[in-house]
Amino acid sequence: MKLNYAKAGIVLFLMVFGFLLAPIPSHAAVDTSSYIVENLRANDIPDDDGSGLVLSWKPLPKEKRIIEYRIYRGVTSDSLFYHGKVDVNVKTGVAGDVMYYYDSGYNRFVDIQSPRKLKKEKQQPDDSPLFGRLPRDITVTGPQLTNYRILGVIPEKDFLYKNTKIEITEDDETKVYAGLKLRHFHYLLKKLRAEKEYYYTVIAVTESRKYMPYAEPVIGIPIDNSPEKIRELYSVYVEDKTRLQFEWIRSLFTDDQTNHSVYLVKKTDLNKFNAYVEEQQKAEMDPELETSLENPAQLIYQRYCGYPYTPDNTVAVNIIDGKIINEDRDIDVEVGNIEDYVAVFSLQDRAGYETFSDPSTFEITNSSNLPKISDEWIVEDRKNDKGDYNAIYWEKPTVFLTNCTYLNDDKTKILVNYDIYKNVKYDKIKNVYFIVSDEDGKEITSINEFYQDNKLKITLEKPSNKISFEMRVVANGDTGEDQIYTQDLIFNEDVKSLQPGLLYLNGEEVNKYTYSIYKNNYSNEEWRLSKNTLGAQREIVDNISFSSTTFKGVSKFDAKKGLFLVTPTFTVRLDDELENPIVTNLYAEEVAKSIENYKKEIAEYTASKDTLETEADITNADAAIEYYQEQIELVKNNPILKKAATIKSKKSRLKFLEKVKTIAGRSFKYKMVKTDGKAHFALSEVYYTEEVGKLPFNKSARETYTTLGKDHFYPIPNWFQADKLPALFATFIFGFMVFFMIRQAKSGKELYIRPIAGIDEIDNAIGRATEMGKPILFVPGLSGISDVATLAGLSILGRVAKKAAEYDTKILVPVRDYIVLPIAQEVVKEAHYEAGRPDSHDKNSVFFITTAQFAFVAGVNGIMIREKTATNFYMGMFFAESLIMTETGSTTGAIQIAGTDAVTQIPFFITTCDYTLIGEELYAASAYLAREPLQLGTLKAVDYYKFIILAFVIIGTIFSTVHATFLINAFPTK
Amino acid sequence: MKRRIPLIIIITMGFMFVAHSFIPHKVSADFFDWFQDWVKAVSPFAVSLGIMSLFMVHGTKIKRKVPNWQYSVITLSGLIFTALAGFIWGTHVGTPYMWLFENVQMPMSATMFALLAFYIASAAYKAFRARSAEATVLLIAAVIVMLGQVPLGAMISKWIPEASTWILNVPNLAAKRAIMIGVGLGITATSLKILLGIERTYLGGGD
Repeated sequence: MKLNYAKAGIVLFLMVFGFLLAPIPSHAAVDTSSYIVENLRANDIPDDDGSGLVLSWKPLPKEKRIIEYRIYRGVTSDSLFYHGKVDVNVKTGVAGDVMYYYDSGYNRFVDIQSPRKLKKEKQQPDDSPLFGRLPRDITVTGPQLTNYRILGVIPEKDFLYKNTKIEITEDDETKVYAGLKLRHFHYLLKKLRAEKEYYYTVIAVTESRKYMPYAEPVIGIPIDNSPEKIRELYSVYVEDKTRLQFEWIRSLFTDDQTNHSVYLVKKTDLNKFNAYVEEQQKAEMDPELETSLENPAQLIYQRYCGYPYTPDNTVAVNIIDGKIINEDRDIDVEVGNIEDYVAVFSLQDRAGYETFSDPSTFEITNSSNLPKISDEWIVEDRKNDKGDYNAIYWEKPTVFLTNCTYLNDDKTKILVNYDIYKNVKYDKIKNVYFIVSDEDGKEITSINEFYQDNKLKITLEKPSNKISFEMRVVANGDTGEDQIYTQDLIFNEDVKSLQPGLLYLNGEEVNKYTYSIYKNNYSNEEWRLSKNTLGAQREIVDNISFSSTTFKGVSKFDAKKGLFLVTPTFTVRLDDELENPIVTNLYAEEVAKSIENYKKEIAEYTASKDTLETEADITNADAAIEYYQEQIELVKNNPILKKAATIKSKKSRLKFLEKVKTIAGRSFKYKMVKTDGKAHFALSEVYYTEEVGKLPFNKSARETYTTLGKDHFYPIPNWFQADKLPALFATFIFGFMVFFMIRQAKSGKELYIRPIAGIDEIDNAIGRATEMGKPILFVPGLSGISDVATLAGLSILGRVAKKAAEYDTKILVPVRDYIVLPIAQEVVKEAHYEAGRPDSHDKNSVFFITTAQFAFVAGVNGIMIREKTATNFYMGMFFAESLIMTETGSTTGAIQIAGTDAVTQIPFFITTCDYTLIGEELYAASAYLAREPLQLGTLKAVDYYKFIILAFVIIGTIFSTVHATFLINAFPTK
Repeated sequence: MKRRIPLIIIITMGFMFVAHSFIPHKVSADFFDWFQDWVKAVSPFAVSLGIMSLFMVHGTKIKRKVPNWQYSVITLSGLIFTALAGFIWGTHVGTPYMWLFENVQMPMSATMFALLAFYIASAAYKAFRARSAEATVLLIAAVIVMLGQVPLGAMISKWIPEASTWILNVPNLAAKRAIMIGVGLGITATSLKILLGIERTYLGGGD
């Protein structure tokens, strides 16, 4: 259809009219009061640290076409800021009668992406209390700091080097802060404060983005609760070792937990203990209630457990000479007959609340019934990485069956899939031997998998309900002959097929136990979970990120300077005894001042002792004096702080401290627990080696880490990825061949190049367009400039455009990628200049259509039909649109030449184009057309290199056929 | 200079990225991330090149009233309206921009894609005409593979699905891998030519 001005005007009018009117039906006048959310409530979340509220409201019916609910929060009812939203599928609506929104934990307060200024929420009346998101404007956000618990997440380098020292005097006391601009924070997070009132409201937003009126704000008060009760405690007494073992299921909410404790309760005291627990629970509900009962339970174990890591959930306590003694925790308990006791586990939080588990009766067993941990486990830096992983591996490879399928209707041919868990030590599997037996124990077949394709084809004499496998792995290193795995395939009625049963190693069920790997660094006394693995697994890699982030509470700001203030102190690491944190200050002069402050505190406590009356107060005063003396000692004599004090330059001092802190945070020691999850576990020792490998630090940074490399392992960044050596070697050979062939070509040696019809026809195709007086269409693929196929396409475009310019034929180049556009324009322009025809160059001959795949095709097809192009070139990367373009070109009668390396599109091009450059021919085309020695030399080198590859394929096939897998194993598997 | 400076940049960066693929060290990884950030920051500016090109090409057509210039009016109107809708009302679900996307762009793209089915039928007819021995082999293989994918094939003979699988897994896969090896070498050779400055056509002109 040809459009005239009037028709175009009508089309345009219809488009605009339709565009403007389409959303109007949903904008029709509605009774907005029926869109106000009802039954809005804000309730405390149980078992938390007083930072969580749950909002609930009745969702509006599906007919209201609600697309989202927006939540607003504030500390007064007249200023509520946008907090978050709940998206709703407008077609299905909300299934339940109640909607919930959890305002808990840390969530975004403000960051650099926040709006610049505070804005009233849109489509609300002038007196509405609703505002948009809290802005970057510190005069608005600053006063809000006291309403929440604010956590600043600061890039380590910004904290150390981009701070401004701010001194604030309050009550005659001058305090020093580090001031940071908002842009120096990753973000500021906020958490609700316990016992504080917060106001909430919710508005509904319709499909046409109409913001409905807000519901009457409701008040919510978060309450600090006692920790969640653990679901199960398992207690085992190992009689021959006189050891108590405990394991429990971790609670979900761990944010404010501080202590794990284990108690023994005499069975005769259980009623007293229950009464005590009941009284404690009542006291939590009613803080005014005075408690009178004493806890009859005896503490036998206690350890610190802290946020934010997953803590160890196992404990082993030894009874020595009938006693449990722990001097650090002041524990000295005499234990009688264990059958007279039950165990109780408790979680304590920062507020001092304690939640007890249900009492657990001891299972009495012997160590022979517990799993064994092999001594053969190793921790080391993982090779060939950027220094962010440690590898932990143990024992010998495991082979196991994973699946089975019938290959025929008679069920006498089966395909069995197997898999192997290997590890760093045994990473090259040579053979896997299978002995397959039927239900009667009669051997069906034995198989040697010298090349592991993870599948076995087995022919049975008759269908069987049970097939037994004996499996053995032979790998590099000594895998021995004693590691015999057994597993059965058992007919499963549900899936009507044979399915793998339990896996056994020398008679012991392999997956009965799991491995838990725990780790601990120089900065934290607590063991944290690295990974849990199946019993069959033989290695894990522990990710040690390069995260260099400092977390700081923020409660003050300096509006004039636009700074948020944080304390300038930071912890470098724990001391060698893992008791006291080594704390220092951003500002060296403040470190010296802190000694004076400690001395002042000691003097004050010493003076106060004369006036104290109770023994408890005197003990507390003594403890405080001891603490401050220790701190003075630490500041004066700790080698790290001493060394830092000698560094004059502020930046050098902080750099030294940063380095020491990084080593502390990224060096881990490891221990392993093998457990069935019910306190039947074996604990390894902390891994230790005397063979210290190379460490990537200078002497001064690591001299305070005497155990580094022995029990603490720091992941080392590698400068060369050794498993890519074959690739590097192959690249060098190829490079050498290219140079050699180029020299040959330059010396004048005639290089035979196999003729390729598609390339030979390019000149003819251009000539055809010239004869017909029609333009040439050249599509340089649909992918971006980073795709080598596009570069190859552009190279061919240069040659084609030059020829076209010589023949004075118009060339059209539609482009999909806007980065390719200027390059293609430049290529065509230069081709015209080279041909000596700058006058014939039309700058609009290379043009952008769109990035949308099918819209681009529609555009290209339109050009073919309207311009009646005589020759179409498609050179580069193409996708599903290829056939649509080439079929259209075919119907317009154009001669078509395509070239692509997209394997899936080659058949379409072959079918519909006159000539097709298949795969590598696309890359060779430019060289063919150029006929320059440099280009031809490269092309010849590619041909010879293909010959080498072919030789390897053939030799590899022959070797593999005779069970010689060394050639396959010489190449990396990925 | 206009060619030399870009060439130096390409060669330097090219070798650095070759080195990056063999160096896992954090320094190398950080350099790569830094570069990616720059790509993300710079590439949006290229959008303006595309838009300028559209305006220049279609603006010229409208100005010169070339045949079918009205299509150019529609193209530019579509561009302006969609952009304005996005800038004024945003791009959330429920905005006019999304309405345009869901009710104009998506159906039109789906229509174009749906045409592919007919084009495949047409292409299949061309490909499967038994004009030569090779085309006959192709036809037979295609029939077996197609029958192997549907229940009818298994009903005719239990060997058809197996033959179909064999054709796909053995000769088809072998050919595909051969092409892939060639493509891999072609990419390596082209990259090498670019790195060494042998291939410069893509740079355009100007010394």
